[in-house]
Amino acid sequence: MTDKDPKQTEPETSRIDPRLLEILVCPLTKTTLEYDAKQQELISRAAKLAYPIRDGIPIMLPEEARPLED
Amino acid sequence: MPERGVGGGVETDFGFARIPLREKQGRVDRIFRNVASRYDLMNDLMSGGLHRLWKDRLVAMLNPPKARAFDHVDVAGGTGDVALRIAKAGGPETRVTVADINADMLEIGRARAGRTGVSFVEANAEALPFPACAFDGYTIAFGIRNVPRIDAALAEAYRVLRRGGRFLCLEFSQVDNARLDRLYSAYSFRAIPEIGRLVTGDADAYRYLVESIRRFPSAEDFRGMIEKSGFARASFVKLTGGVVAIHSGWKL
Repeated sequence: MTDKDPKQTEPETSRIDPRLLEILVCPLTKTTLEYDAKQQELISRAAKLAYPIRDGIPIMLPEEARPLED
Repeated sequence: MPERGVGGGVETDFGFARIPLREKQGRVDRIFRNVASRYDLMNDLMSGGLHRLWKDRLVAMLNPPKARAFDHVDVAGGTGDVALRIAKAGGPETRVTVADINADMLEIGRARAGRTGVSFVEANAEALPFPACAFDGYTIAFGIRNVPRIDAALAEAYRVLRRGGRFLCLEFSQVDNARLDRLYSAYSFRAIPEIGRLVTGDADAYRYLVESIRRFPSAEDFRGMIEKSGFARASFVKLTGGVVAIHSGWKL
Protein backbone atom coordinates (compact mmCIF):
# COMPACT_ATOMS: atom_id res chain seq x y z
CA MET A 1 0.00 0.00 0.00
CA THR A 2 1.15 3.51 -0.72
CA ASP A 3 -0.20 6.76 0.64
CA LYS A 4 0.55 8.77 -2.48
CA ASP A 5 -1.91 11.38 -3.64
CA PRO A 6 -4.07 9.53 -6.18
CA LYS A 7 -3.92 12.62 -8.39
CA GLN A 8 -0.16 12.21 -8.77
CA THR A 9 -0.37 8.55 -9.68
CA GLU A 10 -3.12 9.17 -12.19
CA PRO A 11 -1.58 8.49 -15.60
CA GLU A 12 -1.19 11.40 -17.97
CA THR A 13 -3.45 9.70 -20.52
CA SER A 14 -6.51 9.50 -18.27
CA ARG A 15 -7.06 13.27 -18.39
CA ILE A 16 -8.88 14.86 -21.29
CA ASP A 17 -6.84 16.78 -23.81
CA PRO A 18 -7.64 20.50 -23.28
CA ARG A 19 -7.40 21.20 -27.01
CA LEU A 20 -10.11 18.61 -27.69
CA LEU A 21 -12.37 20.35 -25.17
CA GLU A 22 -12.11 23.52 -27.21
CA ILE A 23 -13.23 22.04 -30.50
CA LEU A 24 -15.77 19.39 -29.54
CA VAL A 25 -19.46 20.07 -30.22
CA CYS A 26 -22.58 17.97 -29.79
CA PRO A 27 -22.67 15.49 -32.71
CA LEU A 28 -26.47 15.86 -32.96
CA THR A 29 -26.98 19.62 -32.70
CA LYS A 30 -23.38 20.80 -33.43
CA THR A 31 -23.73 23.24 -30.52
CA THR A 32 -21.16 23.92 -27.80
CA LEU A 33 -20.75 21.70 -24.76
CA GLU A 34 -20.27 22.34 -21.07
CA TYR A 35 -17.44 20.46 -19.41
CA ASP A 36 -18.27 18.93 -16.04
CA ALA A 37 -14.82 18.09 -14.69
CA LYS A 38 -16.17 16.39 -11.56
CA GLN A 39 -18.59 14.06 -13.33
CA GLN A 40 -16.29 13.76 -16.34
CA GLU A 41 -19.11 14.60 -18.72
CA LEU A 42 -19.64 16.90 -21.67
CA ILE A 43 -23.11 18.35 -21.50
CA SER A 44 -25.20 19.31 -24.50
CA ARG A 45 -28.07 21.50 -23.30
CA ALA A 46 -29.53 21.57 -26.81
CA ALA A 47 -29.74 17.78 -27.11
CA LYS A 48 -30.35 17.29 -23.35
CA LEU A 49 -27.54 14.73 -23.25
CA ALA A 50 -24.42 14.25 -21.14
CA TYR A 51 -21.59 12.56 -23.04
CA PRO A 52 -19.25 10.57 -20.79
CA ILE A 53 -15.46 10.90 -20.75
CA ARG A 54 -13.86 7.54 -20.01
CA ASP A 55 -10.13 7.37 -19.27
CA GLY A 56 -9.77 10.79 -20.85
CA ILE A 57 -11.47 9.80 -24.12
CA PRO A 58 -14.72 11.66 -24.78
CA ILE A 59 -17.44 9.31 -26.00
CA MET A 60 -19.38 11.48 -28.42
CA LEU A 61 -22.06 8.93 -29.24
CA PRO A 62 -25.71 9.78 -28.42
CA GLU A 63 -26.45 6.13 -27.66
CA GLU A 64 -23.76 6.18 -24.94
CA ALA A 65 -24.88 9.52 -23.48
CA ARG A 66 -26.93 10.05 -20.33
CA PRO A 67 -30.26 11.80 -20.96
CA LEU A 68 -30.65 14.96 -18.87
CA GLU A 69 -33.82 15.53 -16.88
CA ASP A 70 -35.63 18.79 -17.62
CA MET B 1 -25.83 1.57 -50.36
CA PRO B 2 -28.86 1.68 -48.10
CA GLU B 3 -32.08 0.90 -49.86
CA ARG B 4 -35.51 -0.49 -49.08
CA GLY B 5 -35.57 -4.24 -48.42
CA VAL B 6 -38.47 -6.49 -49.29
CA GLY B 7 -39.75 -6.33 -45.74
CA GLY B 8 -39.98 -2.54 -45.92
CA GLY B 9 -37.09 -1.88 -43.51
CA VAL B 10 -33.94 -0.12 -44.70
CA GLU B 11 -31.21 -2.61 -45.53
CA THR B 12 -27.52 -2.33 -46.24
CA ASP B 13 -24.66 -4.59 -47.28
CA PHE B 14 -22.84 -6.59 -44.64
CA GLY B 15 -20.23 -8.35 -46.69
CA PHE B 16 -22.32 -10.38 -49.13
CA ALA B 17 -25.32 -10.55 -46.81
CA ARG B 18 -28.13 -7.99 -46.69
CA ILE B 19 -28.95 -6.89 -43.16
CA PRO B 20 -31.12 -4.15 -41.65
CA LEU B 21 -29.20 -0.85 -41.81
CA ARG B 22 -29.50 -0.30 -38.05
CA GLU B 23 -27.73 -3.63 -37.38
CA LYS B 24 -24.63 -2.94 -39.46
CA GLN B 25 -22.89 -0.65 -36.99
CA GLY B 26 -23.36 -3.14 -34.15
CA ARG B 27 -21.97 -6.01 -36.19
CA VAL B 28 -18.99 -3.96 -37.40
CA ASP B 29 -18.35 -2.86 -33.80
CA ARG B 30 -18.26 -6.46 -32.60
CA ILE B 31 -15.78 -7.42 -35.30
CA PHE B 32 -13.35 -4.64 -34.44
CA ARG B 33 -13.73 -5.27 -30.71
CA ASN B 34 -12.72 -8.88 -31.28
CA VAL B 35 -9.68 -8.13 -33.38
CA ALA B 36 -8.51 -4.74 -31.97
CA SER B 37 -5.40 -5.96 -30.16
CA ARG B 38 -4.08 -7.71 -33.24
CA TYR B 39 -5.39 -5.32 -35.86
CA ASP B 40 -2.07 -3.82 -36.96
CA LEU B 41 -0.33 -7.20 -36.89
CA MET B 42 -3.11 -8.62 -39.07
CA ASN B 43 -2.68 -5.74 -41.51
CA ASP B 44 1.00 -6.62 -41.83
CA LEU B 45 0.31 -10.32 -42.32
CA MET B 46 -2.54 -9.89 -44.80
CA SER B 47 -0.91 -7.25 -46.96
CA GLY B 48 2.67 -8.50 -46.63
CA GLY B 49 3.54 -5.11 -45.14
CA LEU B 50 2.11 -3.25 -48.13
CA HIS B 51 -0.39 -1.34 -45.97
CA ARG B 52 2.58 0.63 -44.62
CA LEU B 53 3.53 1.80 -48.11
CA TRP B 54 -0.10 2.65 -48.93
CA LYS B 55 -0.40 4.73 -45.74
CA ASP B 56 2.93 6.44 -46.43
CA ARG B 57 1.63 7.35 -49.89
CA LEU B 58 -1.57 8.74 -48.35
CA VAL B 59 0.47 10.96 -46.02
CA ALA B 60 2.77 12.04 -48.88
CA MET B 61 -0.31 13.13 -50.84
CA LEU B 62 -1.62 15.05 -47.83
CA ASN B 63 1.80 16.66 -47.42
CA PRO B 64 1.10 18.48 -44.14
CA PRO B 65 2.98 21.80 -44.02
CA LYS B 66 6.06 22.00 -41.80
CA ALA B 67 6.05 25.72 -41.15
CA ARG B 68 2.44 26.66 -40.47
CA ALA B 69 -0.56 25.44 -38.49
CA PHE B 70 -2.41 22.44 -39.86
CA ASP B 71 -5.48 20.95 -38.19
CA HIS B 72 -6.15 17.40 -39.25
CA VAL B 73 -8.75 14.77 -38.42
CA ASP B 74 -8.22 11.10 -39.13
CA VAL B 75 -11.52 9.22 -39.05
CA ALA B 76 -11.85 5.51 -38.26
CA GLY B 77 -8.14 5.47 -37.47
CA GLY B 78 -8.41 4.21 -33.89
CA THR B 79 -5.03 2.53 -33.60
CA GLY B 80 -3.31 5.75 -34.63
CA ASP B 81 -1.43 4.18 -37.51
CA VAL B 82 -2.20 7.00 -39.96
CA ALA B 83 -2.44 9.79 -37.37
CA LEU B 84 1.08 9.19 -36.05
CA ARG B 85 2.47 9.26 -39.58
CA ILE B 86 0.77 12.60 -40.21
CA ALA B 87 2.00 14.04 -36.91
CA LYS B 88 5.54 12.98 -37.83
CA ALA B 89 5.33 14.36 -41.38
CA GLY B 90 3.95 17.72 -40.27
CA GLY B 91 5.53 20.55 -38.32
CA PRO B 92 5.25 21.61 -34.67
CA GLU B 93 1.87 23.22 -35.41
CA THR B 94 0.35 20.12 -36.97
CA ARG B 95 -2.48 19.00 -34.72
CA VAL B 96 -4.01 15.60 -35.36
CA THR B 97 -7.28 14.35 -33.92
CA VAL B 98 -8.36 10.72 -34.27
CA ALA B 99 -12.08 9.93 -34.32
CA ASP B 100 -13.16 6.29 -34.19
CA ILE B 101 -16.41 4.63 -33.18
CA ASN B 102 -14.61 1.78 -31.46
CA ALA B 103 -13.28 2.24 -27.90
CA ASP B 104 -10.92 -0.75 -28.08
CA MET B 105 -9.16 0.55 -31.17
CA LEU B 106 -8.83 4.03 -29.58
CA GLU B 107 -7.34 2.54 -26.44
CA ILE B 108 -4.56 0.96 -28.50
CA GLY B 109 -3.98 4.18 -30.42
CA ARG B 110 -3.71 6.31 -27.34
CA ALA B 111 -1.29 3.94 -25.65
CA ARG B 112 0.82 4.03 -28.80
CA ALA B 113 0.62 7.80 -29.26
CA GLY B 114 2.13 8.58 -25.83
CA ARG B 115 3.07 12.27 -25.75
CA THR B 116 2.96 12.92 -29.47
CA GLY B 117 0.03 15.30 -28.95
CA VAL B 118 -2.40 13.28 -31.07
CA SER B 119 -5.92 13.50 -29.57
CA PHE B 120 -8.45 10.70 -29.49
CA VAL B 121 -12.23 10.90 -29.46
CA GLU B 122 -14.91 8.25 -29.83
CA ALA B 123 -17.28 9.37 -32.56
CA ASN B 124 -19.38 8.27 -35.50
CA ALA B 125 -18.16 9.25 -38.98
CA GLU B 126 -21.80 9.98 -39.90
CA ALA B 127 -22.21 12.52 -37.08
CA LEU B 128 -18.88 14.09 -36.15
CA PRO B 129 -18.59 16.11 -32.92
CA PHE B 130 -16.73 18.96 -34.61
CA PRO B 131 -17.95 22.35 -35.79
CA ALA B 132 -18.05 23.27 -39.47
CA CYS B 133 -14.76 24.40 -41.04
CA ALA B 134 -12.60 23.04 -38.20
CA PHE B 135 -9.93 21.17 -40.18
CA ASP B 136 -7.48 21.60 -43.03
CA GLY B 137 -7.28 17.89 -43.74
CA TYR B 138 -9.50 14.82 -43.38
CA THR B 139 -8.28 11.26 -43.91
CA ILE B 140 -10.07 7.95 -43.64
CA ALA B 141 -8.05 4.79 -44.28
CA PHE B 142 -9.83 1.46 -44.65
CA GLY B 143 -12.78 2.93 -42.79
CA ILE B 144 -15.40 4.24 -45.17
CA ARG B 145 -16.30 0.72 -46.30
CA ASN B 146 -17.50 -0.04 -42.79
CA VAL B 147 -19.68 3.04 -42.44
CA PRO B 148 -23.39 2.17 -42.89
CA ARG B 149 -24.25 5.45 -44.70
CA ILE B 150 -21.28 6.44 -46.84
CA ASP B 151 -22.98 9.58 -48.18
CA ALA B 152 -23.60 10.79 -44.60
CA ALA B 153 -19.90 10.31 -43.79
CA LEU B 154 -18.87 12.21 -46.94
CA ALA B 155 -21.25 15.06 -46.08
CA GLU B 156 -19.69 15.29 -42.62
CA ALA B 157 -16.19 15.26 -44.10
CA TYR B 158 -17.17 18.20 -46.30
CA ARG B 159 -18.79 20.08 -43.42
CA VAL B 160 -15.82 19.86 -41.01
CA LEU B 161 -13.25 20.89 -43.64
CA ARG B 162 -12.27 24.50 -44.23
CA ARG B 163 -12.21 26.07 -47.69
CA GLY B 164 -9.04 24.79 -49.31
CA GLY B 165 -9.20 21.65 -47.15
CA ARG B 166 -8.26 18.25 -48.48
CA PHE B 167 -10.21 15.00 -48.29
CA LEU B 168 -8.23 11.78 -48.75
CA CYS B 169 -9.57 8.27 -48.51
CA LEU B 170 -7.51 5.08 -48.69
CA GLU B 171 -9.69 2.07 -49.40
CA PHE B 172 -9.63 -1.30 -51.09
CA SER B 173 -10.56 -1.10 -54.74
CA GLN B 174 -10.85 -3.35 -57.78
CA VAL B 175 -7.95 -5.16 -59.41
CA ASP B 176 -8.06 -4.34 -63.12
CA ASN B 177 -5.98 -7.16 -64.57
CA ALA B 178 -8.01 -10.41 -64.91
CA ARG B 179 -5.10 -12.72 -64.07
CA LEU B 180 -4.05 -10.69 -61.06
CA ASP B 181 -7.70 -10.59 -60.01
CA ARG B 182 -7.96 -14.40 -60.03
CA LEU B 183 -4.89 -14.67 -57.84
CA TYR B 184 -6.12 -11.90 -55.57
CA SER B 185 -9.56 -13.53 -55.25
CA ALA B 186 -8.09 -16.90 -54.35
CA TYR B 187 -5.81 -15.27 -51.81
CA SER B 188 -8.47 -13.08 -50.26
CA PHE B 189 -11.30 -15.62 -50.04
CA ARG B 190 -9.17 -18.58 -48.91
CA ALA B 191 -6.03 -17.30 -47.23
CA ILE B 192 -7.23 -14.18 -45.44
CA PRO B 193 -10.01 -15.80 -43.34
CA GLU B 194 -7.52 -18.54 -42.45
CA ILE B 195 -4.83 -16.05 -41.35
CA GLY B 196 -7.56 -14.23 -39.42
CA ARG B 197 -8.58 -17.42 -37.68
CA LEU B 198 -5.00 -18.27 -36.69
CA VAL B 199 -4.07 -14.80 -35.45
CA THR B 200 -7.29 -13.46 -33.94
CA GLY B 201 -9.37 -16.63 -33.62
CA ASP B 202 -12.03 -14.90 -35.69
CA ALA B 203 -12.28 -16.15 -39.28
CA ASP B 204 -15.76 -14.61 -39.67
CA ALA B 205 -14.39 -11.13 -39.07
CA TYR B 206 -11.97 -11.52 -41.93
CA ARG B 207 -14.54 -13.19 -44.13
CA TYR B 208 -16.62 -10.05 -43.62
CA LEU B 209 -13.59 -7.96 -44.52
CA VAL B 210 -13.06 -9.75 -47.83
CA GLU B 211 -16.75 -9.70 -48.76
CA SER B 212 -17.13 -6.04 -47.87
CA ILE B 213 -14.18 -5.21 -50.14
CA ARG B 214 -16.00 -6.88 -53.02
CA ARG B 215 -19.22 -5.00 -52.32
CA PHE B 216 -17.64 -1.56 -52.12
CA PRO B 217 -18.43 0.73 -55.10
CA SER B 218 -15.95 0.83 -57.99
CA ALA B 219 -13.32 3.57 -57.87
CA GLU B 220 -15.16 5.54 -60.56
CA ASP B 221 -18.53 5.23 -58.77
CA PHE B 222 -16.97 6.24 -55.47
CA ARG B 223 -15.31 9.22 -57.16
CA GLY B 224 -18.81 10.23 -58.30
CA MET B 225 -20.12 9.98 -54.73
CA ILE B 226 -17.30 12.21 -53.48
CA GLU B 227 -18.08 14.77 -56.18
CA LYS B 228 -21.79 14.64 -55.34
CA SER B 229 -20.92 15.47 -51.73
CA GLY B 230 -19.58 18.83 -52.90
CA PHE B 231 -15.88 18.12 -53.32
CA ALA B 232 -14.04 19.68 -56.23
CA ARG B 233 -11.40 18.01 -58.39
CA ALA B 234 -12.46 14.55 -57.16
CA SER B 235 -9.93 12.02 -58.40
CA PHE B 236 -8.30 8.74 -57.48
CA VAL B 237 -5.04 6.90 -57.93
CA LYS B 238 -4.91 3.12 -57.85
CA LEU B 239 -2.01 1.38 -56.13
CA THR B 240 -0.70 -2.20 -56.28
CA GLY B 241 -2.60 -3.08 -59.43
CA GLY B 242 -5.86 -1.74 -58.00
CA VAL B 243 -5.87 -3.64 -54.72
CA VAL B 244 -6.30 -0.23 -53.09
CA ALA B 245 -7.09 3.30 -54.28
CA ILE B 246 -6.54 6.71 -52.75
CA HIS B 247 -9.42 9.07 -53.46
CA SER B 248 -8.93 12.79 -53.24
CA GLY B 249 -11.22 15.81 -53.14
CA TRP B 250 -10.93 19.49 -52.25
CA LYS B 251 -13.37 21.75 -50.48
CA LEU B 252 -13.05 24.90 -52.59
